[in-house]
Amino acid sequence: MTQETQMETINLSTDVLVVGAGMTGVKAASEIAASGYRVVLIDAGAGLGMAAGPSVADLDGEEQATLEALLETVNGSEMIEVMTGTRMDGAAGVPGDFRVWLSGNDDIVEKNVGAIVVASELVACPLNEAYGLNLSDTVVSQSQLEAALRENPSAFSGKSVAFMVGLAQDGNPLVLERVLKSVLAVENMVDTSAYVFAGDLKVAEDGLERLYLECRDKGAMYFKLNEIPAVTQEGRSLSITYDDPVLQRKVQLVPDVIVVEEAIGADQVNAALAEMLNIDVGSMGFLQTDNVHRYPVSTNREGIFVVGGSRRVKKRYGALMDVQNAAIRVRSLLGDGTITVPANKAVLDTGKCTFCLTCLRCCPHGAIDWSADNKPVISAVACQGCGICAAECPMDAIQIGDFNDAEMIDRVTQSAANTTEGSPTIVAFCCQNSGLEAARMAESFGMPLPKGLKTVAVPCAGKVDIGYVMHALAEGADGVVIMACHNGNCKSEKGSLYASWRAANAKGMLEAIGIEENRICFATTASNMGADFSGILMEMEKTLTGK
Amino acid sequence: MIVAERKPFEEVRAMVKDFKKVLTVGCGTCVAVCLAGGEKEVGVLNAELKIARRRQGDPIETGGVTVERQCDMEFLEALDGIVDEYDAIISMACGAGIQLIAERFPEIPVFPGVDTSFIGVNREVGWYEEKCRACGSCVLGMTAGICPVTMCAKGLFNGPCGGTNKGSCEINADQPCAWQRIHERLAKQNRLQNIIDICPPNDWRNQTPRTIVQPGYKDRLAAFGIK
Repeated sequence: MTQETQMETINLSTDVLVVGAGMTGVKAASEIAASGYRVVLIDAGAGLGMAAGPSVADLDGEEQATLEALLETVNGSEMIEVMTGTRMDGAAGVPGDFRVWLSGNDDIVEKNVGAIVVASELVACPLNEAYGLNLSDTVVSQSQLEAALRENPSAFSGKSVAFMVGLAQDGNPLVLERVLKSVLAVENMVDTSAYVFAGDLKVAEDGLERLYLECRDKGAMYFKLNEIPAVTQEGRSLSITYDDPVLQRKVQLVPDVIVVEEAIGADQVNAALAEMLNIDVGSMGFLQTDNVHRYPVSTNREGIFVVGGSRRVKKRYGALMDVQNAAIRVRSLLGDGTITVPANKAVLDTGKCTFCLTCLRCCPHGAIDWSADNKPVISAVACQGCGICAAECPMDAIQIGDFNDAEMIDRVTQSAANTTEGSPTIVAFCCQNSGLEAARMAESFGMPLPKGLKTVAVPCAGKVDIGYVMHALAEGADGVVIMACHNGNCKSEKGSLYASWRAANAKGMLEAIGIEENRICFATTASNMGADFSGILMEMEKTLTGK
Repeated sequence: MIVAERKPFEEVRAMVKDFKKVLTVGCGTCVAVCLAGGEKEVGVLNAELKIARRRQGDPIETGGVTVERQCDMEFLEALDGIVDEYDAIISMACGAGIQLIAERFPEIPVFPGVDTSFIGVNREVGWYEEKCRACGSCVLGMTAGICPVTMCAKGLFNGPCGGTNKGSCEINADQPCAWQRIHERLAKQNRLQNIIDICPPNDWRNQTPRTIVQPGYKDRLAAFGIK
């Protein structure tokens, strides 16, 4: 942004919607309310804190105590409106001005909120089928065991309990912690013994290795197996036959109880929430894609934050740390109810706009809404200035800050026309997050670069208009290079993709004209890859010199 | 809206091969919405022409203007002072717009930059589907909102024919049978009687050039002596 950039001040709603009132959601509501914002806390269940989630084996009741203290805070707070038995039905709008529709048992209410925090909890799914077992009195899931240990631990007295873990799924510290806490509880009883059949034991969490050793010292037996052992289940009687890795022969164990591990995953409600909120779904149904450019709890949309189990498998302390982060993000966005942002991030010429919806459909940040008079409205709060919309607009009706079309075409024309004797002219459109930094690095480290190289900065490769590429060649450039971020590393998620599609389209045009398509090169790089930049550009020079 | 697609470059190049200065005119309505002939496509086509002609050693000068709608004479006034500087015009509008430009500037050759394809809907960015053939006598009320003229390969008003094949049309397994779809939707609406009722044929003699004067405007045209 230049010094003269006009700023505008926008009023924001400072109410915050928290979706999901498990422990994470309840904590989020209390943290955000403590920052002075009104909170609407909704949960589909009948009461607060019901969806406690499987993230902690709360055998000592510590978790429950923390939750109860939190519930007291939330219930006693005038800043928090609790709506149980309530789901989100729909959402629209932009950060600072979201409209959400919440449906309870018999009516739907509309709320206006400035930010939304999604706090769905993790869901546990027993893997007994993968072990070929039916849940019964003697075959129980990890959750069932935890409940039984809380309610009636003496039922296990004198019993032998076999745990199956890390054989039906990749090992996971969170899963292992629950198992080990139960193993310890079992071993602490008189005459009770625990056997752990494990594929792998992932102990990469605080205290897990110590817990593992403590269990072993108390007498728990661990068996490292390569595959699921043969288990027979006839009525209540059980028998496990396994290849003992030490004895190197088959051994049979007849336990009283088998405990099967559980997969911990995302709540199914996430899919519907993602669609309503127009946020990207990552792997395994979690509400976040990997993007190193973002704050931990951010999504592809400003003002919509995901915490704890809604974004990945997290231990309770991780989820609570997310809550703190979300509270910081909410404060930094909503502030005192106004925000000052550059007025020219993305400006729409409503006279030119033909309302084709392309911008709304392409914006990866959900920053474009539409107004009652049927024109797109670009939220200056939500807009990240990537320029994907501007480059896709068929009427060139959207102008991006310092990268407006007239100036860009000027820069391209000058770059293309300014030739160096004896060297091919290469116009390189460089994403300022990667290619441009890599170019600077190559230059300052004295790496070889083509003599005829002209770099043109773009805010994101997504701003590289196919018109710019063709214009550069029409104005005399011998070749065009687009230096975008690596796949999955684009700050605007899809900017590199759009650029790659446009490059492919432009190459097709060159072929139709009868010109070598390799005069256009799309490449990905990162800001610290100066040598890579140098290599790609020198290769391009070689290609063009041969023509 | 009217959906068009950019003509293959070779065809455009051949049409303007004898001209040195060409004005490309975009249209800011249907063809802009379907990403075939708006301001961006004007710029891209001009760049393609420049690249190609320079390579041939026969450079071309191009200009680009995009008007609100090429199918209204008033919007073409914007071109009045400009076209004289050019040897030829490429119109990126639908066939209607191209013809109105050709009518306004009869001294200058006007070439189509796009092929007008159909009346259709926008499914997603860059993805369009034909929905209407402008037959002049809409039967969608009978057919549960699915056009048999467009979607049925035979354009049957009383279908399906013997070629319906497990939901597909006999011409192509990927082409759904229009009448199967019509049947399904009518069944959902409890209106299957519509299938049994005979739908009278369209008067296909209406396919001669058509003019419509809306009922409220006949007097106006007469009063102002507009023909």
